[in-house]
Amino acid sequence: MSDTPASELHELDRPWRIWASVAVMVILLIGILLGVIIIPVVQGRNAGLDAYTAICRALGIIPGSPARQQIVDRTPPTPVSQVTWTADVLQILANANPERGRAKVLEVCVSCHGEQGVSIAPEFPHLAGQSGAAIYKQLHDYRTGSRTHQLMTDLAKALEEPAIADVAAYYAAQPKRNPNLATLAESPKPIVRLVELGDPSRNIPPCASCHRPGSGGPIETPILSEQGRDYIVLQMKMYASGERRNDVYGRMRTIAAKLTPAEIDGLAAYYRAGFR
Amino acid sequence: MRNVERLCLAHFWVAFAAFVVACVLGTWQMWVRSPLGAHLGTPGQYFMSVTAHGVAMAYVLTTFFIMGFGYFVAVTALDRPLPGKQWAWSAFWMAIIGVVMILVPIGMGQATVLFTFYPPLTASPWFYIGLVLVVVASWVWCILMLVAMREWKRENPGRPVPLAMFATVANAVMWLWTTVGVAVELLFQVIPASLGLVQTIDVGLSRTLFSWTLHAIVYFWLMPAYIAFYTMVPRAAGGRLYSDTMGRLTFILFLVYSLPVGMHHLMMDPEHGNGTKFIQMLLTAFVSIPTLLTIFTITASLEIAGRLRGGRGIFGWIAALPWQRPAVLATGLAFVMLGFGGFGGLINMGYGMNAMVHNTSWVTAHFHLIFGGSVVIMYFAIAYEIWPRLTGREHMSLAPLRLQLWLWFIGMMVMTLPWHWLGLQGQWRRVANFNYADPLIAGWGPWVIVSLAGGVVLLVSALLFAYNLFVLHRGPSMATGRQLYALAVHPPQRVPAALNGFGLWNVLVLVLMLLAYGYPLAQFAITPSPSAIVHRVY
Repeated sequence: MSDTPASELHELDRPWRIWASVAVMVILLIGILLGVIIIPVVQGRNAGLDAYTAICRALGIIPGSPARQQIVDRTPPTPVSQVTWTADVLQILANANPERGRAKVLEVCVSCHGEQGVSIAPEFPHLAGQSGAAIYKQLHDYRTGSRTHQLMTDLAKALEEPAIADVAAYYAAQPKRNPNLATLAESPKPIVRLVELGDPSRNIPPCASCHRPGSGGPIETPILSEQGRDYIVLQMKMYASGERRNDVYGRMRTIAAKLTPAEIDGLAAYYRAGFR
Repeated sequence: MRNVERLCLAHFWVAFAAFVVACVLGTWQMWVRSPLGAHLGTPGQYFMSVTAHGVAMAYVLTTFFIMGFGYFVAVTALDRPLPGKQWAWSAFWMAIIGVVMILVPIGMGQATVLFTFYPPLTASPWFYIGLVLVVVASWVWCILMLVAMREWKRENPGRPVPLAMFATVANAVMWLWTTVGVAVELLFQVIPASLGLVQTIDVGLSRTLFSWTLHAIVYFWLMPAYIAFYTMVPRAAGGRLYSDTMGRLTFILFLVYSLPVGMHHLMMDPEHGNGTKFIQMLLTAFVSIPTLLTIFTITASLEIAGRLRGGRGIFGWIAALPWQRPAVLATGLAFVMLGFGGFGGLINMGYGMNAMVHNTSWVTAHFHLIFGGSVVIMYFAIAYEIWPRLTGREHMSLAPLRLQLWLWFIGMMVMTLPWHWLGLQGQWRRVANFNYADPLIAGWGPWVIVSLAGGVVLLVSALLFAYNLFVLHRGPSMATGRQLYALAVHPPQRVPAALNGFGLWNVLVLVLMLLAYGYPLAQFAITPSPSAIVHRVY
């Protein structure tokens, strides 16, 4: 009670302070002893690891599990694309200059892709409003030979690294045309379903899970809205046959190979119309 | 009551409005994932709905309910006016602005990142900034709770703080510790990424920071249920609290052991050593102690009530309990759900067993049963218990209240038990739809439909709950004010400082957190790992 002397209160409180601290620390020590020393050393011995390595692995100081040897894969990697999205590359994209890009476009690209990114022939892709990262990756892939084209390979090789990003930024900044809602409304239901839900029975994911701004695709995913129909059909067929192979993890080769020609055509028509 | 009725009611109505909307969304989600509603919505719509459901349930319902309940306890348990009422109202409006800022981007499809964020997925900055506002508002609440207790102690030197307030402050102190992790994640990683200031994000670091918050936040939601168990239920049953000290120890153990354990959510993550995971797994085991203490103490308190009401024999006291009273009924039902849910939790806690269920519906079912079941049914009980005191009106009949509680219990069991079973069969979580044409998945179909039926019952119960509260606003005026809080069998005259404040326990939490999270966080500075590309969904 309030009339208890302070010294007596202090005396009464002391065992609580001491024993609570001791109890918590003992639990913690048991945890450390078991988790960092005893279990890793015993498990490590069975896995042929020395005690020091096992303890360091348990602490997370060196990578790997204390309970087994790490499998080391010495097969040299053969990536389908040389582009890696490091912080440096992303910084190059962020610092790209559309004005410089415009100069380069007028010098090199305009004859096929147009000044505004609207191409002159159905076999060339429209680039207006395309994702900058997508254009950057394709140009880079042409430069390194991951993707080949009779015209683009030589043209891209003539472009230096920052110029690629500048051109990408310029076309990315060009406005898209308005989608043709009438055509979109005519899209057959199975095609719309393929875009929005995919076909789980054939392990085909929805196109829209990647090819829509804001969805779950990797950064280099191109925007397909208002793309030329013939161009999309051509690329899908090249993916299906394996002629084009610069898609990471073979995603598009896997998907395109499962689509029927009618579906490829329907999807190309759908995307030509735009989806917004 | 000293003129905080409007403040409390405002918080509660926001909480329960979010709750009802989230129930509608939840039922829709169950429907489109079942064979009955397959192909009805797009994955984009599904994840929009899941995000809204999670945010409304986990952030809006809980935070507003706990804040409102805290203000109520501070005034009624301490029997003195709330200090800083203007601050409380400012915090309320700040949180409202935050909620609007969260909900608008979700509605526009610019925040389909679920309520746990999953970096490198990045939503519209408004989503995160709104969340920060809600958290800051809750910090104001924490400080007001601490001030209220401190002022009461100054006026009543040497006297034990009433258990309801002691527990509320334990929750406030825990919440201040808890939110540090997510606040650092949002302010230094996610919001800069969302604003486009950085292009990459260290996902290992952000997951570690979120794990700091992720387990203790669940106890933040749980505490009001435990406060009701200790301080309201024994009284509602007509008995006394078996032990006041047990209550204090329970809330202290929650404070100490809910924080350094979050890494059990990261057992499948590669960025931490097995030893650190083991230590946190062991500490997690100790979180079960306060729950076991509570089950013992509350059962003993109910036994006292049952025997006072003439119950005889080993189990006769159970039948003698006043089950017609909503608080008693809710406690019984909550204990059943806590039993099943707690058992499931022990499985999640074990490294090996967790590996089998980690990415399956088992986990979703578990947290629905524990939080949506045991905790939320006690939110109902608390609302039914204190609403008459806030409005000065009586429930006209207790029958619709009991019906609502039973429906919630039945709905939750029917929804979550098959869901656990599906998880054991490998049904994955965080997906928008299932392909029931696949023969393996087709076998899940009937159980998913049973689950959906449970979801529909839950929705009915949620609507009935809102109806019951609306009806109360027109009920007859309360004749006499009953006492709300239970007395202990031996009311404490003097308790050691360690059971009357949080100084010692804060030091111990600090030590535990330094050991549990010190190196796991420091490693990201010592050897920076490769970062992921920020993936903006807006």
